[in-house]
Amino acid sequence: MNHKTYHRSKTVTVFFLCAIVLFGLAGRLVYLMVFQSEYYTLKARELHERERSIKAARGRIIDANGKILADNKTVCTVSVIHSQIKDAEKVIAVLSEELGLSQDYVRKRVEKYSSIEKIKSNVDKVTGDAIRSYAMDGVKVDEDYKRYYPYDTLASKALGFTGGDNQGIIGLEVIYEEYLKGEAGTILTVTDAKGVEQDEEGEARVEPVSGRDLYVSLDINIQSYATQLAKQTMETKEADRVSILVMNPQNGEILAMVDVPEFDLNNPYTLQNGMDAMAYSEKKRQELLNAMWRNGCINDTYEPGSTFKIITAAAGLESGAVKPEDTFNCPGFIMVEDRKIRCHKVGGHGAENFVQGTMNSCNPVFITVGLRIGVERYYSYFRQFGLLDKTGVDLPGEAGTIMHKMENIGPVELATISFGQSFQITPIQLATTASSIVNGGRRITPHFAVKAVSADGTDSLVFSYPVRNDVVSAETSETMRYILEQVVAEGSGKNGAVEGYRVGGKTATSQTLPRGSGRYIASFLGFAPADDPQVLALAIIHNPQGTYYGGQIAAPVVRQLFENILPYLEKKGYNRT
Amino acid sequence: MAQRNASRRGQKKGESFMDYSLLFIVLFLVGFGMVMVFSSSSYEANLKLGDSTSYLRQQLFASILGLVAMMVVANIPYHFWERFAVPAYIGSAVLILLIIPFGHESGGATRWLYIAGISLQVAEVAKLGMILFLSSLICTLGKGIRTNKGFLLVLLSPVPIAAMIYLITNNLSSAIIVMGIAVLMLFVSCPDYKRFFLLGLIVLAVAAALVFYVVQTAEAHVDDLDFRGARILAWLDPEAYSDDRAFQTIQALYAIGSGGVLGKGLGQSMQKRGFLPEAQNDMIFSIICEELGLFGGIAVIVMFLLLIWRLMIIANNAPDLYGALLVVGVLGHIAVQVILNIAVVTNTIPNTGISLPFISYGGSSVMFLLIEIGLTLSVAKGIHLKDL
Repeated sequence: MNHKTYHRSKTVTVFFLCAIVLFGLAGRLVYLMVFQSEYYTLKARELHERERSIKAARGRIIDANGKILADNKTVCTVSVIHSQIKDAEKVIAVLSEELGLSQDYVRKRVEKYSSIEKIKSNVDKVTGDAIRSYAMDGVKVDEDYKRYYPYDTLASKALGFTGGDNQGIIGLEVIYEEYLKGEAGTILTVTDAKGVEQDEEGEARVEPVSGRDLYVSLDINIQSYATQLAKQTMETKEADRVSILVMNPQNGEILAMVDVPEFDLNNPYTLQNGMDAMAYSEKKRQELLNAMWRNGCINDTYEPGSTFKIITAAAGLESGAVKPEDTFNCPGFIMVEDRKIRCHKVGGHGAENFVQGTMNSCNPVFITVGLRIGVERYYSYFRQFGLLDKTGVDLPGEAGTIMHKMENIGPVELATISFGQSFQITPIQLATTASSIVNGGRRITPHFAVKAVSADGTDSLVFSYPVRNDVVSAETSETMRYILEQVVAEGSGKNGAVEGYRVGGKTATSQTLPRGSGRYIASFLGFAPADDPQVLALAIIHNPQGTYYGGQIAAPVVRQLFENILPYLEKKGYNRT
Repeated sequence: MAQRNASRRGQKKGESFMDYSLLFIVLFLVGFGMVMVFSSSSYEANLKLGDSTSYLRQQLFASILGLVAMMVVANIPYHFWERFAVPAYIGSAVLILLIIPFGHESGGATRWLYIAGISLQVAEVAKLGMILFLSSLICTLGKGIRTNKGFLLVLLSPVPIAAMIYLITNNLSSAIIVMGIAVLMLFVSCPDYKRFFLLGLIVLAVAAALVFYVVQTAEAHVDDLDFRGARILAWLDPEAYSDDRAFQTIQALYAIGSGGVLGKGLGQSMQKRGFLPEAQNDMIFSIICEELGLFGGIAVIVMFLLLIWRLMIIANNAPDLYGALLVVGVLGHIAVQVILNIAVVTNTIPNTGISLPFISYGGSSVMFLLIEIGLTLSVAKGIHLKDL
């Protein structure tokens, strides 16, 4: 029995060895599951949880009358989760019918092995709700916001539009992105390794914060009428482009900004000829789209021509280089050094004082005034008026002034500058500078945004804009208003006169470069009432066919606009601010 | 106590003795295994095969087959198998060799033979074959085992089989288990401790040297290491290799650690939802821990300890040396496999694929384990109460 004894004791030894090792492993388990538990639980949760963001509703853009210019539409995305589908045939039948898709198309997606398969996006909410009401397993209807512009093309270049992630691409949409976009919320969901959500596990939600509503000074009535006028003019004059800018010269609020042809904000990638931009090569496509989206009022510069005489006149009066009663003689041309610069009236205006010279838009008069001011003084007024800086308008891509360097300006250059040629500015710059000259000498900042109000209406952020008071003296401003009223009352701008209202203004006709191309820009800048300007409008017609004089074709545009909006503004109590 | 009661019952009926304690423990483990195989496989099975019970049904089929085989073997006097010692050895070798032309591949390894539509993992046959062969060999040697020659004969005779399992089926863990069974049987049948102490030291020294070598090589250039070497690195610092080599280990640790003391509840594992690949196989213990907590994990360990204890009792009361050795072999097989499995799952040792006896998914494994339990029951039947 000896051998049996040691067999037994050794078997017992084996057992105890196993027991010791197993106790050790149990100890290891205690270590992992008690002391390390927190660490691994956290790690595992990180692995299992997926963050899904919930889009915030983008703030609306609202006009001066409370009309909504940019809104959100709830759209749905319908998808299927293969593993959760119970009745595939029913899902295929219902989805193909509700969404108007072919059975084959839906079947292919329903039968595909994937964690989640999108069937259709941008489905309107009614259809989405209808699909949801079937309560089919494995069919998911997710709601989303899509930017929607109720007035389609209206003020397209000012408003701008948003991209796929609801982010602003151009216009006010991009400038006020941080106010409009809001804060995305998140849903923490527990998913399996493939990302399929586990229904039984709870989800944690952080609610999104909606963006602020942007209240703008744009007035939809004025904008609509101005757009109509611009379209009409473009058609009748067979022009390339017509821009109309309407602003309050007292505070810089922009009431309308039209640059036809405009584009459809709800289909910003459809070209004006109806072609989908995607049909072109990428480079060509971007070129065409940029051209279509370009806002001529701020993105492009032009030679202002005679409307710029407002600036020369103001500089002359302010510097004392000229007085309204100063007399001049116009023989139809003027010699500057060895150059003969013609007046637009071939026979000349003869003897005239400065007021009459302005009424006649007489080039020799302004060249004389310009030369009297001298390069250095003229240039410092240029700077003082704010012409060398951008206006600071709240739209992206404002172009700067293209002007000679001071040291390159000789008498000839100075002469051409005096009547608005040989340099380029933007329409918004001209309108703003003219506003500053007629409003008593305050350089205002043109703008759209008035305030940004939180979605629940409790928190309102009112925007303020810089104002500079030292542009011209009150006297010079008053004289300028008087002279410009004369221009419209009896001078070259008489087509801009509106019965029953005192209107001031200035016409311009400039030949585009290269000279002799036969291409002109006709424009008119008007404001009313002339003694206390509350509204200022600038109409620019690019390359009109037939008559191309600003006084003939641009002034009537502003007149028609004023005839319509002046009573309207009066009724609205649009008064000094 | 249970044993004594059972013995008394056996005494009344005469010599027939059924070890119900062992039977109960084994049935419990098989049943519990079935529950856990279903729990850990159903989510993935539903996604991949469209049938959440797919793995459960195969496991159930193998278990029933195994239980029938167990009862048949239990009722055959165990000395019947003594004559199959050499055929068992040669048969194991032949089966392993058959893998070369007829082997069936699954999961990147070729370890299965298809016989009459049933897949058979040959290493499982070899483990049983080794127990039968060594029991007979040691009995034949008698006192000769005390000589160095006898000692070496028993120690070296399983080496060819282990080497074939390793080289042909690329299954290091089964090779280790075969050697483990042999060493334990040898240990029990030799009176001395000195040589085993020495053997243990050598194994430890080799293992330490290997780890040292791998770490040194890794510092120089990782690319030179084969995947087993890389597994050692992954063992030392699993977080650093969590994307590839230590992926399975890290996922198992997440499962175990996130289970906590009380677990997430049966069926509530997150890790089985695609994070821990093939959760029903070797890593099933981590899902047990995740769902049933520390409590469940330790309960399983205690259950296996009870099983080993029961096997020890039967071995020590076996009517003769042959029966005792058969049971020691079974004990060795189960103990080595349980310890290695839990050690791997808890990252206590480097990762190597070892299934958890009776619980992990795997038809061959559960079937042959049940046949081994049948052998044990047969030995238990032969216990003469006067021997106690």
